[in-house]
Amino acid sequence: MKQTSIYNYPMALLAILVVVMASCDKKDYALPTAKDKLQNDAIKRSLGPNIVNDTIEFVYAMGILPSKGKLVSAEVEASIEGAAGTFLEHRSYYTNTSGVDVGVQIGDPSVTVKEKTTVTFTRDTSAAALRYTYIVPEAARGKTVSFTFTARSSNGETATYKLGPYNVSKMDMKRLLTVVNGGNAYISIEDMAVYNDAGAAANANKIDLVYLYRTYTTSTFTHALVAPAADAQYLPDITLPAGVNRNTKIQRVFSLQDYDLAFSAVGVYIDDRDFQELDISNAPNFAINLKAEAGIWVETADKKYRAYVYVNSINNNAKSAVISMKRYAL
Amino acid sequence: MKSINVIYALLIIVLAGSACKKDNPVDEDGLLITSRAECAVTNFELLGTDFVTVRTKAAAIDTTAQTIAVTVMFGTDLKNLYPQFTLSQDCKLDPKITGRTDFSDLANPRVYTVVSGNRQVRKPYKVLITVQPR
Repeated sequence: MKQTSIYNYPMALLAILVVVMASCDKKDYALPTAKDKLQNDAIKRSLGPNIVNDTIEFVYAMGILPSKGKLVSAEVEASIEGAAGTFLEHRSYYTNTSGVDVGVQIGDPSVTVKEKTTVTFTRDTSAAALRYTYIVPEAARGKTVSFTFTARSSNGETATYKLGPYNVSKMDMKRLLTVVNGGNAYISIEDMAVYNDAGAAANANKIDLVYLYRTYTTSTFTHALVAPAADAQYLPDITLPAGVNRNTKIQRVFSLQDYDLAFSAVGVYIDDRDFQELDISNAPNFAINLKAEAGIWVETADKKYRAYVYVNSINNNAKSAVISMKRYAL
Repeated sequence: MKSINVIYALLIIVLAGSACKKDNPVDEDGLLITSRAECAVTNFELLGTDFVTVRTKAAAIDTTAQTIAVTVMFGTDLKNLYPQFTLSQDCKLDPKITGRTDFSDLANPRVYTVVSGNRQVRKPYKVLITVQPR
């Protein structure tokens, strides 16, 4: 059979060339046409569980064509009144080339009346991104909370954006408590506090853990969190204040660096569900040889509380440690 | 030409048949039963609930006496330990380790049986735990 080269078909080649060229044709970029109405958008900035007395953070952005008007006010309405300290920024932030957030004041500080927080613009502004910090109130514990963001412009337009509902955790959090061997060594989960001997005697029925530091040549004891009712070998040379005798369940954990407690960027959060599903019924009542970044799961003797106690840091010379805790009421 | 085609067809059938033949038996756990008769523990580890070792030093494995002697740190929670065995090739363990194990009854040490690759040899090993003094 006679072979025929494709090069013998100039018209076909030309057609292919045209098709290839056409497929590479670049369309000219055109700036998108801005909508001529007041626009808005919102995101939630903070991650993790929403804890009472802690914050939930948002950013609310709004803009209008300068030819159509300017921004007059921004308002956030929470479904549950925020705790004291809830505010909407009166500065619009942008990030400069060094990665630093720079605030530009656009109005007076926000005014909060019950559920509503409002910023009135005093600058001739057509676009702004305002941060909103909601302090989770006690009233929201175990409930859900929603937010309605509203922007108003000088031409009478209104834009709203709804976010939520968000679950508010039942748990509590306390950070950076210093425990000292022989000093503030008594920990109450119920009070989320540490006490010295006198304080422990006064709150004897609330003391769940005793902190102690010991060194031995035969074993590694060092930093320990022990239930008052534990065997004496785990509480060497300790005379407990009168009435301090609770038998707390304790389970040692390592590499559970809760983002809220450890202040690290690991991004692991302990949430209500972790406490709900925790089963340490078979756990002992002591945890010795604790190191920094270790922790313990705890269940109080009266089964009223479960907690996670995280060891932020230890100090062998001062015989002390810094701890943080999350607590869940059963 | 026709006879050659028939031979080819027969050859394919024979090859296909042999490919389906089972010569690699598996046991009730779906594990391969091999011809190996070796049956021993070569390494032993004990982890706490924090998944950190509780041993003070390497376990002493006596393959003659069939014991594993291990000293654990003072304050070890003996009721909640994760044992880890390293076995000879193709061996398996009976009972299987499914999670936390209670080793707190020191008077009655736990026994784990190592089963050889050919499933013909079974050797029970006692885990003897000693708690380091304070």
